[in-house]
Amino acid sequence: MKTETPQLAISRVFDAPRALVYRAFTDPDHLAAWWGPVGNSLPRDEIEFDVRPGGFQRWTEVNAAEPGLRVQIHVDLIDVADGELLEGVMHVSGRLPEGVEPFATRLRIEFHDEADGRTRLEIRQWLPEHLAGPSQEGWRQAFTKLDATLIER
Amino acid sequence: MAGTDQLSAVFSALSDPTRRAILAELAERDATVTELTAPLSISMPAVSRHLKVLERAALISRSRSGKWRASRLEAAPLREAADWIERYRRFWDTSLTRLDAHLAAVQAAERATDRTVDGPDGRGPRGDRMNPRENE
Repeated sequence: MKTETPQLAISRVFDAPRALVYRAFTDPDHLAAWWGPVGNSLPRDEIEFDVRPGGFQRWTEVNAAEPGLRVQIHVDLIDVADGELLEGVMHVSGRLPEGVEPFATRLRIEFHDEADGRTRLEIRQWLPEHLAGPSQEGWRQAFTKLDATLIER
Repeated sequence: MAGTDQLSAVFSALSDPTRRAILAELAERDATVTELTAPLSISMPAVSRHLKVLERAALISRSRSGKWRASRLEAAPLREAADWIERYRRFWDTSLTRLDAHLAAVQAAERATDRTVDGPDGRGPRGDRMNPRENE
């Protein structure tokens, strides 16, 4: 597993205790309630979780607008610390939108206590291999600058 | 892969705000020197100099035929990666906004259940929350 800098970093504070935020990611009923855009649905009988180091989280996403698209998400969990950390490789496959090939992305989610019983979520995500070959770190740094420029416009 | 010299050229090329602006223009469409001069408010020779730097860094290519040499963005891998990141950033933004609402709803339901179970004298079994998984 490569340890280089993640390409996507998101930090967000929730007005909820850490145990509850963690459960929102590790309990099938909770995850189905919020994962993905509105209109996205996760068939309950296709959600399968075994949350532990070496375990997995698997589910299917169905898009309300295009029910023919069924995206299979398989997360192979590598590092899990109860209430604190989920890290693994997320494999995305199934009947994907046109132009999207199956890919795998490394994902790390940290749960931190904040003041007043709130919780800070730290999400780190890495580019899939086909976009980020081992020799392309320089390109990624370059693109980050380019991306920033494009967004400024 | 891009060699070290190539990467240096890329970084050097991207270090200049005008050249980044040129790349942003070219991300929209191919353009000639003349077409790039207007939006950037700099002289044609200045644009030409910047284009040479970008071409050396292989970030753009320039057509060799015809009177008008259009420049084309050649940073396709960069754009693909940028698009991917942007898609996921939007995905997380949407999902986490829904998560925020979900967490608020769950906690509101818990408080309502607590009040009901506790009753007016407040002696209810507080451990017995609405969701059995609460106590895992």
